[in-house]
Amino acid sequence: MLTNLKEVIFFTVNTGLDLESSFNNLLQGLGLSSEVSHILWLPLPMLLVLTSALIGVLVTVWLERKISAAAQQRIGPEYAGSLGILQPIADGLKLLVKEDVIPTKADSLLFSLGPVLVLIPVILSWLIVPFGQNLIISNVGIGIFLWIALSSIQPIGLLMSGYASNNKYSLLGGLRAAAQSISYEIPLALSVLAIVMMSNSLSTVDIVNQQNGVGFLSWNIWRQPVGFLIFWICALAECERLPFDLPEAEEELVAGYQTEYAGMKFALFYLGSYINLVLSALLVSILYLGGWGFPIPVEWIAQFLGQNIDAPLVQVFTASIGIAMTILKTYLLVFLAILLRWTTPRVRIDQLLDLGWKFLLPISLVNLLFTAALKLAFPLAFGG
Amino acid sequence: MTSFFKQIADYTQQAISAGQYLLKGLAVTFDHMGRRPITVQYPYEKLIPSERYRGRIHYEFDKCIACEVCVRVCPINLPVVDWVMNKETKKKELRNYSIDFGVCIFCGNCVEYCPTNCLSMTEEYELAAFDRHSLNYDNVALGRLPTSVTTDPSIKPLRELGYLPKGVMDPHEIPDNNPRAGNLPSQVLELMKKEAISKDNSLSNEEGKGGQSK
Repeated sequence: MLTNLKEVIFFTVNTGLDLESSFNNLLQGLGLSSEVSHILWLPLPMLLVLTSALIGVLVTVWLERKISAAAQQRIGPEYAGSLGILQPIADGLKLLVKEDVIPTKADSLLFSLGPVLVLIPVILSWLIVPFGQNLIISNVGIGIFLWIALSSIQPIGLLMSGYASNNKYSLLGGLRAAAQSISYEIPLALSVLAIVMMSNSLSTVDIVNQQNGVGFLSWNIWRQPVGFLIFWICALAECERLPFDLPEAEEELVAGYQTEYAGMKFALFYLGSYINLVLSALLVSILYLGGWGFPIPVEWIAQFLGQNIDAPLVQVFTASIGIAMTILKTYLLVFLAILLRWTTPRVRIDQLLDLGWKFLLPISLVNLLFTAALKLAFPLAFGG
Repeated sequence: MTSFFKQIADYTQQAISAGQYLLKGLAVTFDHMGRRPITVQYPYEKLIPSERYRGRIHYEFDKCIACEVCVRVCPINLPVVDWVMNKETKKKELRNYSIDFGVCIFCGNCVEYCPTNCLSMTEEYELAAFDRHSLNYDNVALGRLPTSVTTDPSIKPLRELGYLPKGVMDPHEIPDNNPRAGNLPSQVLELMKKEAISKDNSLSNEEGKGGQSK
């Protein structure tokens, strides 16, 4: 995220916030052809996604350990760096140099492919996460639909690793993960659909723009409170966070599908689950909490201070406010998820499926129909 | 039809109350986050064991008369008393004494019943060993005094919760001379003595009064 900010400051001097075109202009000014400059541009957003996702995970792991400790009146990591800030890096390094074990009776191909299939869709989903009007890797038209489609690849990887481990706990964990993902995807998609209906677009940028008319009063959470709750519950279930961590319930299944994994392959699962948590929190803040929007529209503040909103310096300022707001909202939600972890007991598998199919699914359907009715009745307030 | 609506109303009520319980739980965990940690950072900080702590047993070889009471009162007859009868003096001669702390449950019966007080409980509790047989202490090992938490300069001794002043929860920043809540055992004893004396006085006074009236 820091790199993101630096690039914004570096490239927004002349042409506002379109980083790609300003980068291309810069290289073409140096005498390179547009194809070459495009190829040179391509790795930058990729690296940016990877670094920001990784830094996000490191921060989340540290927060998780510190907040967990505080909720239990402990101190938590303290010796690695000041306040234990380097603890997640130490954990990562440890996993990096550990022996990579593949059990003899395991299917080695599927065993290695599983964690990769879990991690790649999660990282790929960062494509559609906007930190500002043009601070998005790829503003694809099907944005949020792409995320839902990608997230349904994940259970295949989980099932694969659970099956390939040749271990009963792994298999049970993998089956549970698949069942959970599939049941909670439906209410999740339905609650997203209600948002999409109100914004008339699948693109995340349009969804955020549509929410930022009059500051925090126009955020979707006020128009979709039920949808917000459903989405948050389903997102927790998709991330396998407590109270829905059945696939890796340590009291019953040792570690679920991760049981046989060690070293870097385990680290991939670990990374995947935390990137997924940050991503879900990001998407909740984008869909329901106005994304990069400041509680009071920055345009109004600029007008009040007598500044031109298109001035380069103001642009840099608004972009950094946007990034800060997105991250702030995201980490507030991550905090909520961690607090929920120490508050709620784990549900049973029948309770989990009961909640998903018999409670969330009908309610999200009713919510969708209700939104459609409201849209027909009050097209002005519900995006006609 | 009305029963259908009633069902829906009941179900909604249930869902709402479930949400309320969840919020109550969240409030509890959130409240705990503001409290100070109760961590004692063990190798560097240690709690001072209480006065009646039942730790590793101390044994004085010279006081022992080899009566084997400790063996008889032990739930598993654990102490091994190795003695021989000296025919000439017609007295028991103690050769060895040992207790296996890998098996001992630290109930303190032997200490309680020892007629010569040669057994006593110490405050030593760090009995970790790589081999459980090394926990079988002979009379030499049993005779060693434990290191005290309060005299070790490398350790910060902390008072247990019951030994802190009234209302104090954190032992870290309390000065040593700050007295604990309530009376010390010696003070309680003195108080009891005083009470007994005053009771005796009042009793004798009453008797005296009775005598006078007669």
